[in-house]
Amino acid sequence: MSITKLIAMALAILVSTFFALAHPVVAADRTVKIAAWGAKSGPLRSFGVNSEAVLKGAVKSINDSGGVKLGDGTMAKMEFTYYDSACNADQAISVARKVESQTGALIGIGPTCSGAAAAMYGIFQKKVGDKSDTGLQFPILTDTAIRPGLAKKSQWTFRNVPNEITMYDALFKWLRSKYPNAKTIYGGTETDQAHSRITFAAVIVQKAKKYGFEWVGGGIEGVTGKIIAGMKNVLNVSKSSNWLLADTNFSVQARAFKRSGADMMIISSHPFTTCGMLKEMRRQRIKPKVLVGLTSSSSAETLKGCSAAAEGIYIPTGFAPITKAAAKVAAAAEANGGAADLHSAAAWENAHIIKQVVEATGVMAKPETLKADRRKVRDGLEKLVKVDGLMGEIGRVQDEGESIKPYVFVQAQKGAWKVVHDPR
Amino acid sequence: MSYYLGLAQLIGIHTLLGLSAYVLMLTGQLSLGQAGFFAIGAYSAGILTVIFELPILPALLAAAVIAAFFAFIVGFPALRVKGLMLVVATIAFGEFVRLFFFNLSWRVPRGDIEVGPDSTNGFREIRYFVANGWSPWEITTFVWTFVILVMIALWWMDRSRAGAVLRAVGEDELATQSVGVNLTAVKVTAMTAGGFIAGIGGALYAHTATYVDHLTFTVLLATFAVSYPILGGLSSVFGTLVAVIFIQGVLVEGLRFLGDWRNIVFGLLIIIAMNLKPDGLFDARTTRILRRAIGLGGREKSDA
Repeated sequence: MSITKLIAMALAILVSTFFALAHPVVAADRTVKIAAWGAKSGPLRSFGVNSEAVLKGAVKSINDSGGVKLGDGTMAKMEFTYYDSACNADQAISVARKVESQTGALIGIGPTCSGAAAAMYGIFQKKVGDKSDTGLQFPILTDTAIRPGLAKKSQWTFRNVPNEITMYDALFKWLRSKYPNAKTIYGGTETDQAHSRITFAAVIVQKAKKYGFEWVGGGIEGVTGKIIAGMKNVLNVSKSSNWLLADTNFSVQARAFKRSGADMMIISSHPFTTCGMLKEMRRQRIKPKVLVGLTSSSSAETLKGCSAAAEGIYIPTGFAPITKAAAKVAAAAEANGGAADLHSAAAWENAHIIKQVVEATGVMAKPETLKADRRKVRDGLEKLVKVDGLMGEIGRVQDEGESIKPYVFVQAQKGAWKVVHDPR
Repeated sequence: MSYYLGLAQLIGIHTLLGLSAYVLMLTGQLSLGQAGFFAIGAYSAGILTVIFELPILPALLAAAVIAAFFAFIVGFPALRVKGLMLVVATIAFGEFVRLFFFNLSWRVPRGDIEVGPDSTNGFREIRYFVANGWSPWEITTFVWTFVILVMIALWWMDRSRAGAVLRAVGEDELATQSVGVNLTAVKVTAMTAGGFIAGIGGALYAHTATYVDHLTFTVLLATFAVSYPILGGLSSVFGTLVAVIFIQGVLVEGLRFLGDWRNIVFGLLIIIAMNLKPDGLFDARTTRILRRAIGLGGREKSDA
């Protein structure tokens, strides 16, 4: 044997040993399966497309860095399947049942719409270990459905969504100092969407009142600045000017906005009708001193649909590509044909939270341990106090399954969302 | 397994919804108000089990009676009009019901939470089945008991004089009236029966889904209700069942793996099915073939 051959063999052994040590054996037959679902059809299709794109990037990044460490030390790949459940309660329930009983998924992420989530959460076991309750025993970590207070319906359901009450409180406090001369407010919402409507009447108007902004024409009876107070009166047609998700004509509502002459105007709706309303306001040359929007409109859809009309609108959001990690997610989402926003970016965080919980609780990811593994993941999620998020640390409210996320205020400026205030 | 049982429950409930439209369609009337009766059944049964804490069976029957009562009341003015005018009138009724529940807020304290319809927030906590330890098998059996009972009742009716009268009205109102049949009575009876069946379906839906809100009962649901008997064919009650299995089982669930393409393929398959089987998937010819196959043979009545 020549010297050259000996050196080559020694090098080969060295290299093999290095790779063997650097990358523990990946279990080919054991994977950490995630099932995700949301609206990939219908008017809210972009929400599902974005979540899937972000999740794809997250799973790839986890697998590229070696995968997920299981209870016995082996490294397993993470994989996910994304199902279309539209924005529909029946379909969300059907998918939940399917993934629970047919797919071997460890945990679910979804759905998009709060109405679908509220319905779906109802079929889960309310209290863990309650044998008289035959609801599904399968952990869920929702990324998008944002309506306040949903997750506490079941001890199996968790959410990683921003807290709008905190965000709007801080926003109006900041606006008060930035616009000391703004006195009056006026606004409207899409009343058939629970998230838009409730956030508008129960949160936004109350927080505006709390920081000294008065509804035009002498205020609204019962509105005290306290969450939910006088909510019905806010939505009364003699007060706010509202519309529906399927509406395409906003001339009457915009006229009411114009007639109000308010310093601050609020549009609490999703991107599709937000753009319709903003375009009509532009056509009618309505220029309030301050314009405030709903969290869900701080997305790429709004800028794609009406960037010129949206110029100047302020929105609080739980996502902006201002950190290295957030910028990476934004790029990954774009590469996968979607966009990262306050809803979809949570899918990235969720995948990493799942990895963290799986590794901390010793999940085995074997078919025979599936039930026990799901329970471990649920218990692990409940125990979480803080996790790393894209914008900073995310706090968990354990008994409610909710999260407390960092946020910033963005403003539409020249076709982009600019961070104008960072209270982190 | 719970997935397939859940799917079976959904197919059963939609079959009831389709059959509620089928009864009326036998008289030649097309109603897009069935989603309204379905909603009345859903909310009534939910209120009875959640707020009044009634057991499921009396709640379900009471909900069906309430839905039938409203169908009876609506039947008189609505059935004075025909064809497209009836379609518009029943859409208006369906929207009226939907918006009523959209605004309905009736909350009562139950332990540390409030329960009951909550306007746009919807009506949560309709958890009678799971909270009482019903297994998916038991829930499915319960749902299908009603589906089978309704199908047997309609099948039997179809072979009785009542069925002949309904179909006669549907074929030629003038001729039927000329032999002394009271058209209004027949149509209102069909509307009431349809309301009763839709009420049962709604009540079962609310309890299997555990949550309802106004968005559940849109015109889309009403369109599904009339699509089932149209697609399945009016020659037999089984046509509606076949259509529901085709739409909910094959198109909605079976094509989910197609992702973005699902809705396109969904529409395409409906068009193909209606072109290949213009009298319905379960038309008179299919019925004859099946009867021969199982050795029943005999004469068949003509297609509707």
